[in-house]
Amino acid sequence: MSDPQPPQPLDRLRSHFHTGETPVPSPDCLDADTVAALADGTLDAARRAHALGHVATCALCRRAVASVAEALADGPITHEVEIIEGRRRRLRGQLLKVVTPLAAAAALVLLLLPRHDNHPLVSTLRGPLKADTDAPAPIGPRATAARPDRFVWTAVAHAQRYRLRLYDAEGGVLWTDETSDTAAALPKSVKLSPRSRYFWKVEAQTESGRWSGSELVEFGVETSP
Amino acid sequence: MDDWVAELQRGRFDAAWDLFLDRYRRLIFAAIRHYAQDYDDVMDVFARVCEALRADESRRLRSWVEQPEHRARFSTWLVTVVRNLTVDWFRHRDGRQRLSTVAAELPPLRRRIFELLFLNKRSHVESYEQLKSSDGLDLTFGQFLSEVSATYRVVSGGRRGRILRELGGPPPPVADVEDESATVSERREELEAALGILSPDERVAVELYVVEEMPADAVAKVVGWPNAKAVYNHVYRALAAMRTRLEQADLRADL
Repeated sequence: MSDPQPPQPLDRLRSHFHTGETPVPSPDCLDADTVAALADGTLDAARRAHALGHVATCALCRRAVASVAEALADGPITHEVEIIEGRRRRLRGQLLKVVTPLAAAAALVLLLLPRHDNHPLVSTLRGPLKADTDAPAPIGPRATAARPDRFVWTAVAHAQRYRLRLYDAEGGVLWTDETSDTAAALPKSVKLSPRSRYFWKVEAQTESGRWSGSELVEFGVETSP
Repeated sequence: MDDWVAELQRGRFDAAWDLFLDRYRRLIFAAIRHYAQDYDDVMDVFARVCEALRADESRRLRSWVEQPEHRARFSTWLVTVVRNLTVDWFRHRDGRQRLSTVAAELPPLRRRIFELLFLNKRSHVESYEQLKSSDGLDLTFGQFLSEVSATYRVVSGGRRGRILRELGGPPPPVADVEDESATVSERREELEAALGILSPDERVAVELYVVEEMPADAVAKVVGWPNAKAVYNHVYRALAAMRTRLEQADLRADL
């Protein structure tokens, strides 16, 4: 006899769950959108609880969720989804290229217009800007880094937390993190390529709840010898 | 807004379809190939998917676009729809006959085991007795179970195994004679009673992790737990609770 592999412990348990019966769909079965949202993990808590109540007793829907989750982890499908999502990010980047100059022009107009800080509504709803409000300054990585796996910036007095954003060259957000520290480690799931340029900025939130942002810093990854 | 969505909202269905297909053709093919192996099957399923998505002025696509809020990414929704259409296509085309196609490539003994267990739904003991008496095979019950195990692994692997599972394919083999002491329905009733003590999310996690063999991090996503470790903890606590419930039953050793 060849290939005599004993069943794994969980195989034995699986065999008890398997009845060989063909499950029958019911009117309560989940629609494609709910199955997709469950597999994606994007369903809000209340809807998820409701959906799981059905999935717990419906082998058909359970199979569908498991099947879609497995498909989403399949290399070729993941690759195609990344291409589609990447294209959307590029479109956003192109949009940013158009919107940013417009926003800069609008800001310039606002600066040139006479100020009305003493307007009763403004003075009631918003406190005057402090002259000494400062923003965090990125320390590194800058320019080119051998292993840009840690982002460091200067502290801001009374800052409650910092928010860091890492962008690709097309303006897509690759990673965002919030911390009370003045450094953040890049998670291993975010892969940076030596062939690409990246940008990052950090914002500090002060006691009044306002955010003050740093400049946008560009950097690249050193090519290994 | 995506260009195909804009065209769809303008009522220009042909233009919307062309743009949609241009963008998602490769993803649709990738999703079909996840389940289908044969080139002709892939092309036939693709035609069926296109037909279904384009029917009634792209009713399916419009229903997604017109939702006030989207709970899932469009690409995941599309993969889900393609999966449903693919499974339906296989089920309608050949259903159980498909199982025979799978068995055709197996060595003679495993093909026979496949027929007895998976097509004729015989128990392990019945199948073993049949092989010994009618087929005249000389093998111990342990050897037989090893062959059952190997057969299961062959037919449930790869893309062919995926569509087989979707069509309610073979159950995993059991390892000893004791498992035959209770009928399938008795076993399931006992398990149902034990599963009944779990919360819905624990129950779903147990079934997805144990039965569907989903990775723990994917299970965590579905049930809304923070990570894979939470899944391990919950599932093994749930199995312990079930074990207590089943302490008088034959299943306890497996849990």
